[in-house]
Amino acid sequence: MSTYATPGAGPAVYDPLTLPADDNVNRYTFCVELKGGQWFLQKGKMIAYYGAIEFNGIGHGRLDRLVRTSFHSPLHASDWVVAQGSGKMLLADRAFDVNSYDLDDGNLTIRAGNLLAFQPSLALKQSIVPGFLTLIGTGKFVAASNGPVVFMEPPIRVDPQALVGWADCPSPCHHYDHSYMAGVLGGLRAVTGFGGVSGEEHQFEFVGAGTVLLQSTETLMAEAATGAVPSEPGVPGGGSTAPGGHGPQSSGAPRLPGQLGDLQRRFGL
Amino acid sequence: MFRLQGSKVLAVDMTGDAVKAKNGSMVAYDGQMAFKKLSGGGEGLRGMVTRRLTGEQMTVMEVRGHGTCWFADRAAEINLVGLRGDKLWVEAGNLLATDAGLRTGTTFTGLRGAAQGNGLFTTTVEGHGQAAIVSDGPAVVLRVSPQYPLIVDPGAYVAHQGDVRQSFQSGVTFRTLLGEGGGEAFQIRFEGDGLVYVQPSERNTIAGDL
Repeated sequence: MSTYATPGAGPAVYDPLTLPADDNVNRYTFCVELKGGQWFLQKGKMIAYYGAIEFNGIGHGRLDRLVRTSFHSPLHASDWVVAQGSGKMLLADRAFDVNSYDLDDGNLTIRAGNLLAFQPSLALKQSIVPGFLTLIGTGKFVAASNGPVVFMEPPIRVDPQALVGWADCPSPCHHYDHSYMAGVLGGLRAVTGFGGVSGEEHQFEFVGAGTVLLQSTETLMAEAATGAVPSEPGVPGGGSTAPGGHGPQSSGAPRLPGQLGDLQRRFGL
Repeated sequence: MFRLQGSKVLAVDMTGDAVKAKNGSMVAYDGQMAFKKLSGGGEGLRGMVTRRLTGEQMTVMEVRGHGTCWFADRAAEINLVGLRGDKLWVEAGNLLATDAGLRTGTTFTGLRGAAQGNGLFTTTVEGHGQAAIVSDGPAVVLRVSPQYPLIVDPGAYVAHQGDVRQSFQSGVTFRTLLGEGGGEAFQIRFEGDGLVYVQPSERNTIAGDL
Protein backbone atom coordinates (compact mmCIF):
# COMPACT_ATOMS: atom_id res chain seq x y z
CA MET A 1 0.00 0.00 0.00
CA SER A 2 2.58 2.52 1.03
CA THR A 3 6.27 2.52 0.41
CA TYR A 4 6.78 4.30 3.73
CA ALA A 5 6.21 1.26 5.89
CA THR A 6 7.00 1.45 9.55
CA PRO A 7 10.78 1.58 9.72
CA GLY A 8 12.22 -1.40 11.55
CA ALA A 9 13.24 0.06 14.89
CA GLY A 10 11.90 3.52 14.27
CA PRO A 11 8.99 5.27 15.93
CA ALA A 12 5.45 4.03 15.48
CA VAL A 13 3.79 5.49 12.42
CA TYR A 14 0.10 6.29 12.78
CA ASP A 15 -2.63 6.55 10.19
CA PRO A 16 -6.37 7.01 10.70
CA LEU A 17 -6.86 3.29 11.21
CA THR A 18 -4.16 2.83 13.83
CA LEU A 19 -4.71 6.04 15.79
CA PRO A 20 -6.58 5.32 19.03
CA ALA A 21 -10.15 6.55 19.36
CA ASP A 22 -10.59 9.01 22.23
CA ASP A 23 -7.37 7.93 23.88
CA ASN A 24 -3.76 9.04 24.31
CA VAL A 25 -1.33 8.54 21.43
CA ASN A 26 1.53 9.18 23.84
CA ARG A 27 1.83 11.07 27.12
CA TYR A 28 1.66 14.42 25.36
CA THR A 29 -0.84 13.85 22.58
CA PHE A 30 -4.50 12.89 22.69
CA CYS A 31 -6.57 11.64 19.77
CA VAL A 32 -10.27 12.48 19.52
CA GLU A 33 -12.48 10.54 17.14
CA LEU A 34 -15.35 12.53 15.68
CA LYS A 35 -18.20 10.69 14.01
CA GLY A 36 -20.42 13.53 13.00
CA GLY A 37 -20.39 14.73 16.59
CA GLN A 38 -18.99 17.81 18.23
CA TRP A 39 -16.30 18.63 20.77
CA PHE A 40 -15.46 21.87 22.45
CA LEU A 41 -11.78 22.69 22.40
CA GLN A 42 -9.58 25.53 23.43
CA LYS A 43 -8.23 27.56 20.53
CA GLY A 44 -4.97 26.46 19.03
CA LYS A 45 -4.71 23.09 20.76
CA MET A 46 -5.41 21.07 17.62
CA ILE A 47 -2.12 19.98 16.07
CA ALA A 48 -3.32 17.79 13.19
CA TYR A 49 -6.33 15.95 11.87
CA TYR A 50 -7.48 13.41 9.33
CA GLY A 51 -10.90 13.65 7.69
CA ALA A 52 -13.31 16.52 7.34
CA ILE A 53 -13.46 18.62 10.47
CA GLU A 54 -14.70 22.16 10.73
CA PHE A 55 -13.73 24.62 13.46
CA ASN A 56 -16.16 27.34 14.38
CA GLY A 57 -16.11 30.05 17.00
CA ILE A 58 -18.62 29.85 19.81
CA GLY A 59 -20.55 32.72 18.28
CA HIS A 60 -21.27 30.77 15.09
CA GLY A 61 -25.01 30.93 14.47
CA ARG A 62 -25.59 27.25 13.80
CA LEU A 63 -24.06 26.33 17.16
CA ASP A 64 -26.55 28.38 19.07
CA ARG A 65 -28.48 25.43 20.49
CA LEU A 66 -25.36 23.53 21.51
CA VAL A 67 -23.86 26.54 23.20
CA ARG A 68 -27.09 27.13 25.07
CA THR A 69 -26.98 23.66 26.62
CA SER A 70 -23.30 23.20 27.33
CA PHE A 71 -21.40 26.48 27.41
CA HIS A 72 -22.14 28.95 30.17
CA SER A 73 -18.99 30.95 30.40
CA PRO A 74 -19.23 34.14 28.35
CA LEU A 75 -15.84 35.31 29.59
CA HIS A 76 -14.16 32.36 27.92
CA ALA A 77 -16.16 32.36 24.73
CA SER A 78 -13.34 33.78 22.67
CA ASP A 79 -10.96 31.05 23.85
CA TRP A 80 -13.13 28.17 22.75
CA VAL A 81 -14.15 26.70 19.44
CA VAL A 82 -16.38 23.84 18.43
CA ALA A 83 -14.96 21.11 16.21
CA GLN A 84 -17.47 19.14 14.21
CA GLY A 85 -17.34 16.65 11.39
CA SER A 86 -15.88 13.21 11.07
CA GLY A 87 -12.31 12.12 11.38
CA LYS A 88 -9.56 11.90 13.95
CA MET A 89 -8.02 14.93 15.54
CA LEU A 90 -4.85 15.24 17.63
CA LEU A 91 -4.73 17.59 20.59
CA ALA A 92 -1.64 18.75 22.48
CA ASP A 93 -0.57 21.67 24.60
CA ARG A 94 3.00 23.02 24.82
CA ALA A 95 4.39 19.51 25.32
CA PHE A 96 2.63 19.16 28.67
CA ASP A 97 1.16 15.87 29.81
CA VAL A 98 -2.41 15.41 28.62
CA ASN A 99 -4.96 13.00 30.01
CA SER A 100 -8.63 12.33 29.56
CA TYR A 101 -11.04 11.98 32.43
CA ASP A 102 -14.57 10.60 32.50
CA LEU A 103 -17.24 12.27 34.53
CA ASP A 104 -20.30 10.22 35.36
CA ASP A 105 -23.05 12.54 36.47
CA GLY A 106 -20.45 14.42 38.46
CA ASN A 107 -18.78 17.76 38.73
CA LEU A 108 -15.19 18.83 38.51
CA THR A 109 -13.51 22.19 38.88
CA ILE A 110 -10.27 22.83 37.03
CA ARG A 111 -7.85 25.67 36.43
CA ALA A 112 -8.99 27.44 33.26
CA GLY A 113 -5.64 27.13 31.48
CA ASN A 114 -5.45 23.38 32.03
CA LEU A 115 -8.64 22.36 30.28
CA LEU A 116 -8.10 21.46 26.63
CA ALA A 117 -11.33 19.97 25.35
CA PHE A 118 -14.62 18.44 26.44
CA GLN A 119 -17.63 16.65 25.05
CA PRO A 120 -20.80 18.69 24.68
CA SER A 121 -22.62 16.29 27.00
CA LEU A 122 -20.80 18.18 29.75
CA ALA A 123 -21.75 21.70 30.67
CA LEU A 124 -18.98 24.24 31.23
CA LYS A 125 -19.55 26.90 33.86
CA GLN A 126 -17.32 29.37 35.56
CA SER A 127 -16.40 28.50 39.12
CA ILE A 128 -16.90 31.16 41.76
CA VAL A 129 -13.22 30.66 42.52
CA PRO A 130 -11.62 33.09 40.07
CA GLY A 131 -9.62 31.45 37.30
CA PHE A 132 -11.31 28.10 37.62
CA LEU A 133 -13.95 26.41 35.48
CA THR A 134 -16.48 23.78 36.52
CA LEU A 135 -17.69 20.93 34.34
CA ILE A 136 -20.99 19.31 35.22
CA GLY A 137 -22.65 16.24 33.74
CA THR A 138 -21.59 13.02 32.08
CA GLY A 139 -18.88 12.79 29.48
CA LYS A 140 -15.20 12.94 28.69
CA PHE A 141 -12.82 15.85 28.91
CA VAL A 142 -9.11 16.34 28.24
CA ALA A 143 -6.84 18.30 30.53
CA ALA A 144 -3.16 19.16 30.49
CA SER A 145 -0.81 19.22 33.46
CA ASN A 146 2.83 19.91 34.01
CA GLY A 147 3.94 16.39 34.87
CA PRO A 148 1.58 13.51 35.64
CA VAL A 149 -1.53 14.18 37.72
CA VAL A 150 -1.90 12.65 41.18
CA PHE A 151 -5.25 12.14 42.84
CA MET A 152 -5.58 12.82 46.56
CA GLU A 153 -8.41 12.48 49.04
CA PRO A 154 -9.32 15.28 51.42
CA PRO A 155 -8.67 16.29 54.14
CA ILE A 156 -5.48 17.62 52.57
CA ARG A 157 -3.54 20.85 52.32
CA VAL A 158 -1.95 21.52 48.95
CA ASP A 159 0.50 23.97 47.51
CA PRO A 160 -1.30 26.63 45.45
CA GLN A 161 1.00 26.13 42.49
CA ALA A 162 0.46 22.38 42.34
CA LEU A 163 -3.33 22.48 42.36
CA VAL A 164 -4.95 21.45 39.09
CA GLY A 165 -8.53 20.99 40.22
CA TRP A 166 -10.95 19.13 42.45
CA ALA A 167 -13.96 16.89 41.92
CA ASP A 168 -17.19 16.29 43.79
CA CYS A 169 -17.04 19.55 45.66
CA PRO A 170 -14.87 19.35 48.71
CA SER A 171 -14.76 22.89 49.97
CA PRO A 172 -11.45 24.67 49.36
CA CYS A 173 -10.16 27.44 51.58
CA HIS A 174 -6.89 29.24 52.32
CA HIS A 175 -4.71 28.08 55.18
CA TYR A 176 -1.80 30.00 56.71
CA ASP A 177 0.70 28.49 59.10
CA HIS A 178 0.27 29.72 62.65
CA SER A 179 3.79 31.04 63.19
CA TYR A 180 3.40 33.09 60.06
CA MET A 181 0.32 34.71 61.51
CA ALA A 182 1.23 35.14 65.15
CA GLY A 183 2.43 38.44 66.52
CA VAL A 184 4.21 41.40 65.04
CA LEU A 185 7.33 39.36 64.32
CA GLY A 186 5.30 36.85 62.34
CA GLY A 187 3.76 39.65 60.35
CA LEU A 188 7.13 41.21 59.68
CA ARG A 189 8.43 37.87 58.53
CA ALA A 190 5.50 37.32 56.22
CA VAL A 191 5.84 40.69 54.59
CA THR A 192 9.61 41.04 54.39
CA GLY A 193 10.84 37.49 54.33
CA PHE A 194 13.36 38.30 57.12
CA GLY A 195 13.92 35.57 59.66
CA GLY A 196 13.25 32.78 57.24
CA VAL A 197 10.24 31.91 55.18
CA SER A 198 10.05 28.46 53.70
CA GLY A 199 7.70 29.57 50.93
CA GLU A 200 5.24 26.97 52.12
CA GLU A 201 3.37 28.96 54.78
CA HIS A 202 0.32 29.39 52.62
CA GLN A 203 -1.68 26.41 51.42
CA PHE A 204 -5.08 25.53 50.06
CA GLU A 205 -7.00 23.31 52.41
CA PHE A 206 -9.62 20.83 51.22
CA VAL A 207 -12.11 19.14 53.51
CA GLY A 208 -15.16 17.02 52.77
CA ALA A 209 -15.64 14.08 50.43
CA GLY A 210 -14.17 14.20 46.97
CA THR A 211 -10.94 14.09 45.01
CA VAL A 212 -8.19 16.68 44.62
CA LEU A 213 -6.05 16.70 41.47
CA LEU A 214 -2.43 17.82 41.75
CA GLN A 215 0.28 18.19 39.17
CA SER A 216 3.70 16.96 40.06
CA THR A 217 5.58 20.21 39.62
CA GLU A 218 5.03 23.66 40.99
CA THR A 219 5.56 25.28 37.63
CA LEU A 220 2.20 26.75 36.77
CA MET A 221 0.88 26.52 33.29
CA ALA A 222 0.36 29.93 31.79
CA GLU A 223 -3.04 31.16 32.85
CA ALA A 224 -5.62 31.80 30.22
CA ALA A 225 -7.02 35.27 30.70
CA THR A 226 -10.35 34.78 32.36
CA GLY A 227 -11.69 38.29 32.23
CA ALA A 228 -13.62 39.86 35.07
CA VAL A 229 -16.88 38.66 36.55
CA PRO A 230 -19.70 41.16 36.64
CA SER A 231 -19.47 43.74 39.37
CA GLU A 232 -22.18 42.76 41.83
CA PRO A 233 -22.33 42.68 45.58
CA GLY A 234 -21.61 39.17 46.81
CA VAL A 235 -19.66 38.04 43.75
CA PRO A 236 -16.10 37.15 44.78
CA GLY A 237 -13.56 38.88 42.62
CA GLY A 238 -16.25 40.98 41.02
CA GLY A 239 -16.11 44.69 40.69
CA SER A 240 -13.12 46.94 40.56
CA THR A 241 -11.44 46.05 43.85
CA ALA A 242 -7.89 44.87 43.38
CA PRO A 243 -7.37 41.11 43.75
CA GLY A 244 -5.95 41.66 47.24
CA GLY A 245 -9.06 43.43 48.52
CA HIS A 246 -10.40 42.18 51.81
CA GLY A 247 -14.08 43.07 51.55
CA PRO A 248 -15.44 44.92 54.56
CA GLN A 249 -12.10 44.76 56.37
CA SER A 250 -10.08 46.50 53.71
CA SER A 251 -9.42 50.06 54.59
CA GLY A 252 -10.79 51.62 51.46
CA ALA A 253 -7.76 52.12 49.25
CA PRO A 254 -6.65 48.98 47.38
CA ARG A 255 -3.50 47.50 48.87
CA LEU A 256 -0.47 47.79 46.65
CA PRO A 257 2.10 45.04 46.49
CA GLY A 258 4.88 45.72 48.98
CA GLN A 259 2.69 47.88 51.17
CA LEU A 260 2.62 46.80 54.80
CA GLY A 261 -1.15 46.39 54.75
CA ASP A 262 -1.37 43.42 57.02
CA LEU A 263 1.09 44.96 59.50
CA GLN A 264 -0.95 48.12 59.70
CA ARG A 265 -4.01 46.11 60.56
CA ARG A 266 -2.10 44.24 63.25
CA PHE A 267 -1.24 47.56 64.87
CA GLY A 268 -4.86 48.55 64.62
CA LEU A 269 -4.22 51.39 62.20
CA MET B 1 24.96 4.05 13.39
CA PHE B 2 22.42 6.27 15.17
CA ARG B 3 20.67 5.14 18.33
CA LEU B 4 18.75 6.92 21.05
CA GLN B 5 19.93 6.82 24.62
CA GLY B 6 16.88 7.89 26.53
CA SER B 7 14.73 10.16 24.39
CA LYS B 8 16.86 13.28 24.54
CA VAL B 9 20.35 12.05 23.76
CA LEU B 10 21.54 10.70 20.44
CA ALA B 11 24.43 8.25 20.47
CA VAL B 12 26.34 7.66 17.28
CA ASP B 13 28.75 4.75 16.97
CA MET B 14 31.46 5.46 14.45
CA THR B 15 34.21 3.38 12.94
CA GLY B 16 36.20 5.86 10.96
CA ASP B 17 33.14 7.30 9.24
CA ALA B 18 31.61 10.74 9.77
CA VAL B 19 28.39 12.50 10.68
CA LYS B 20 27.24 16.07 10.23
CA ALA B 21 25.74 17.59 13.35
CA LYS B 22 24.50 20.96 14.55
CA ASN B 23 27.44 23.01 15.77
CA GLY B 24 28.02 22.64 19.48
CA SER B 25 25.54 19.81 20.01
CA MET B 26 28.16 17.27 21.15
CA VAL B 27 27.74 16.49 24.84
CA ALA B 28 30.26 13.67 25.26
CA TYR B 29 32.37 11.21 23.33
CA ASP B 30 34.70 8.31 23.89
CA GLY B 31 37.40 7.09 21.55
CA GLN B 32 39.08 9.35 19.04
CA MET B 33 37.03 12.13 17.49
CA ALA B 34 37.85 15.06 15.31
CA PHE B 35 35.43 17.98 15.07
CA LYS B 36 35.57 20.23 12.06
CA LYS B 37 33.32 23.15 11.40
CA LEU B 38 31.77 22.96 7.97
CA SER B 39 31.19 26.42 6.62
CA GLY B 40 27.89 26.63 4.84
CA GLY B 41 26.73 23.21 5.98
CA GLY B 42 29.19 21.43 3.71
CA GLU B 43 27.21 22.45 0.67
CA GLY B 44 29.98 24.32 -1.06
CA LEU B 45 30.12 27.95 -2.00
CA ARG B 46 26.79 27.89 -3.81
CA GLY B 47 25.02 26.33 -0.82
CA MET B 48 26.62 28.86 1.45
CA VAL B 49 25.37 31.77 -0.58
CA THR B 50 21.91 30.22 -0.88
CA ARG B 51 21.66 29.73 2.85
CA ARG B 52 22.81 33.24 3.52
CA LEU B 53 20.23 34.61 1.10
CA THR B 54 17.34 32.47 2.28
CA GLY B 55 17.90 32.79 6.00
CA GLU B 56 18.03 29.01 6.43
CA GLN B 57 21.41 29.33 8.08
CA MET B 58 22.77 26.27 9.70
CA THR B 59 26.10 25.92 11.40
CA VAL B 60 27.22 22.38 11.00
CA MET B 61 30.24 20.46 12.15
CA GLU B 62 31.63 17.26 10.79
CA VAL B 63 32.50 14.66 13.39
CA ARG B 64 34.83 11.86 12.29
CA GLY B 65 36.52 9.17 14.30
CA HIS B 66 36.37 5.87 16.10
CA GLY B 67 34.13 5.41 19.10
CA THR B 68 30.85 6.78 20.32
CA CYS B 69 29.75 10.39 20.25
CA TRP B 70 26.67 11.72 22.07
CA PHE B 71 24.63 14.67 20.88
CA ALA B 72 21.81 16.66 22.50
CA ASP B 73 20.13 20.01 21.97
CA ARG B 74 18.46 21.96 24.81
CA ALA B 75 16.86 18.80 26.21
CA ALA B 76 14.58 18.59 23.19
CA GLU B 77 13.16 15.24 22.20
CA ILE B 78 15.06 13.49 19.41
CA ASN B 79 13.41 11.55 16.61
CA LEU B 80 15.31 9.24 14.25
CA VAL B 81 14.43 9.26 10.57
CA GLY B 82 15.58 6.57 8.17
CA LEU B 83 16.03 7.67 4.58
CA ARG B 84 16.13 5.20 1.71
CA GLY B 85 16.67 7.39 -1.28
CA ASP B 86 13.77 9.65 -0.38
CA LYS B 87 13.78 13.22 0.77
CA LEU B 88 13.18 14.79 4.18
CA TRP B 89 12.03 18.39 4.56
CA VAL B 90 12.89 19.92 7.92
CA GLU B 91 13.54 23.35 9.38
CA ALA B 92 17.27 24.02 9.83
CA GLY B 93 16.76 24.60 13.55
CA ASN B 94 15.15 21.18 14.00
CA LEU B 95 17.86 19.19 12.28
CA LEU B 96 20.32 17.75 14.79
CA ALA B 97 22.49 15.31 12.87
CA THR B 98 22.72 13.43 9.60
CA ASP B 99 24.93 10.74 8.16
CA ALA B 100 27.75 12.38 6.25
CA GLY B 101 26.57 10.63 3.12
CA LEU B 102 23.26 12.49 3.05
CA ARG B 103 22.95 15.56 0.89
CA THR B 104 21.46 18.65 2.43
CA GLY B 105 20.06 21.58 0.56
CA THR B 106 17.63 24.46 0.68
CA THR B 107 14.24 24.62 -0.92
CA PHE B 108 11.37 27.04 -1.29
CA THR B 109 8.29 26.19 0.77
CA GLY B 110 6.05 29.06 0.01
CA LEU B 111 3.24 30.16 2.25
CA ARG B 112 3.59 27.28 4.70
CA GLY B 113 6.86 28.65 5.94
CA ALA B 114 5.49 32.13 6.15
CA ALA B 115 2.57 30.98 8.31
CA GLN B 116 4.97 29.25 10.65
CA GLY B 117 6.96 32.37 11.03
CA ASN B 118 10.20 30.70 10.10
CA GLY B 119 10.73 31.89 6.61
CA LEU B 120 9.91 30.93 3.09
CA PHE B 121 12.64 28.33 2.82
CA THR B 122 13.36 25.02 4.42
CA THR B 123 16.14 22.48 4.53
CA THR B 124 16.05 19.23 2.61
CA VAL B 125 17.96 16.07 3.35
CA GLU B 126 18.20 13.28 0.80
CA GLY B 127 20.03 10.06 0.13
CA HIS B 128 20.47 6.82 2.01
CA GLY B 129 21.12 6.93 5.72
CA GLN B 130 19.83 8.27 8.98
CA ALA B 131 18.99 11.71 10.27
CA ALA B 132 18.00 12.93 13.72
CA ILE B 133 15.50 15.74 14.18
CA VAL B 134 14.55 17.52 17.40
CA SER B 135 11.08 18.51 18.52
CA ASP B 136 9.42 20.07 21.56
CA GLY B 137 7.95 16.91 23.05
CA PRO B 138 8.16 13.57 21.22
CA ALA B 139 6.93 13.89 17.66
CA VAL B 140 3.96 11.87 16.48
CA VAL B 141 4.58 10.34 13.07
CA LEU B 142 1.50 10.45 10.87
CA ARG B 143 1.16 8.66 7.54
CA VAL B 144 -0.22 10.47 4.55
CA SER B 145 -1.70 8.20 1.91
CA PRO B 146 -3.81 8.95 -1.16
CA GLN B 147 -7.05 8.01 0.62
CA TYR B 148 -6.15 9.80 3.85
CA PRO B 149 -4.85 13.32 3.40
CA LEU B 150 -3.67 15.02 6.58
CA ILE B 151 -4.17 18.55 7.82
CA VAL B 152 -1.59 19.98 10.22
CA ASP B 153 -1.34 23.12 12.27
CA PRO B 154 1.67 25.14 11.01
CA GLY B 155 2.90 25.68 14.57
CA ALA B 156 3.08 21.96 15.29
CA TYR B 157 4.66 20.88 12.00
CA VAL B 158 8.26 19.66 12.35
CA ALA B 159 9.21 17.76 9.23
CA HIS B 160 7.92 15.54 6.47
CA GLN B 161 9.36 12.95 4.15
CA GLY B 162 8.35 11.15 0.99
CA ASP B 163 6.33 12.03 -2.05
CA VAL B 164 3.98 14.54 -0.48
CA ARG B 165 2.30 17.60 -1.91
CA GLN B 166 1.55 20.34 0.55
CA SER B 167 -0.96 23.03 0.11
CA PHE B 168 -1.86 25.87 2.31
CA GLN B 169 -5.42 26.20 3.42
CA SER B 170 -6.87 29.19 5.10
CA GLY B 171 -10.06 29.41 7.05
CA VAL B 172 -9.96 33.16 7.37
CA THR B 173 -13.46 34.49 6.92
CA PHE B 174 -15.34 37.59 7.92
CA ARG B 175 -15.84 35.86 11.28
CA THR B 176 -12.09 35.92 11.95
CA LEU B 177 -12.14 39.67 11.56
CA LEU B 178 -14.99 39.88 14.05
CA GLY B 179 -12.96 37.92 16.59
CA GLU B 180 -15.17 34.88 16.18
CA GLY B 181 -12.68 32.80 14.25
CA GLY B 182 -12.32 29.07 14.54
CA GLY B 183 -8.89 29.39 16.09
CA GLU B 184 -7.34 27.30 13.35
CA ALA B 185 -7.21 29.86 10.61
CA PHE B 186 -4.16 28.53 8.80
CA GLN B 187 -3.57 24.90 8.09
CA ILE B 188 -1.26 22.89 5.88
CA ARG B 189 -2.82 20.07 3.92
CA PHE B 190 -0.59 17.13 2.97
CA GLU B 191 -1.57 14.81 0.14
CA GLY B 192 0.30 11.96 -1.52
CA ASP B 193 2.34 9.23 0.07
CA GLY B 194 4.71 9.88 2.95
CA LEU B 195 5.16 10.67 6.61
CA VAL B 196 4.63 13.88 8.55
CA TYR B 197 6.26 14.61 11.94
CA VAL B 198 4.12 16.66 14.31
CA GLN B 199 5.18 17.90 17.74
CA PRO B 200 2.79 18.13 20.73
CA SER B 201 3.37 21.84 21.12
CA GLU B 202 2.76 24.89 18.99
CA ARG B 203 5.30 27.50 18.09
CA ASN B 204 4.05 31.04 18.14
CA THR B 205 2.81 31.81 14.71
CA ILE B 206 1.10 34.80 13.24
CA ALA B 207 -1.90 32.53 12.82
CA GLY B 208 -1.94 31.55 16.44
CA ASP B 209 -4.33 34.22 17.60
CA LEU B 210 -6.82 34.13 14.77
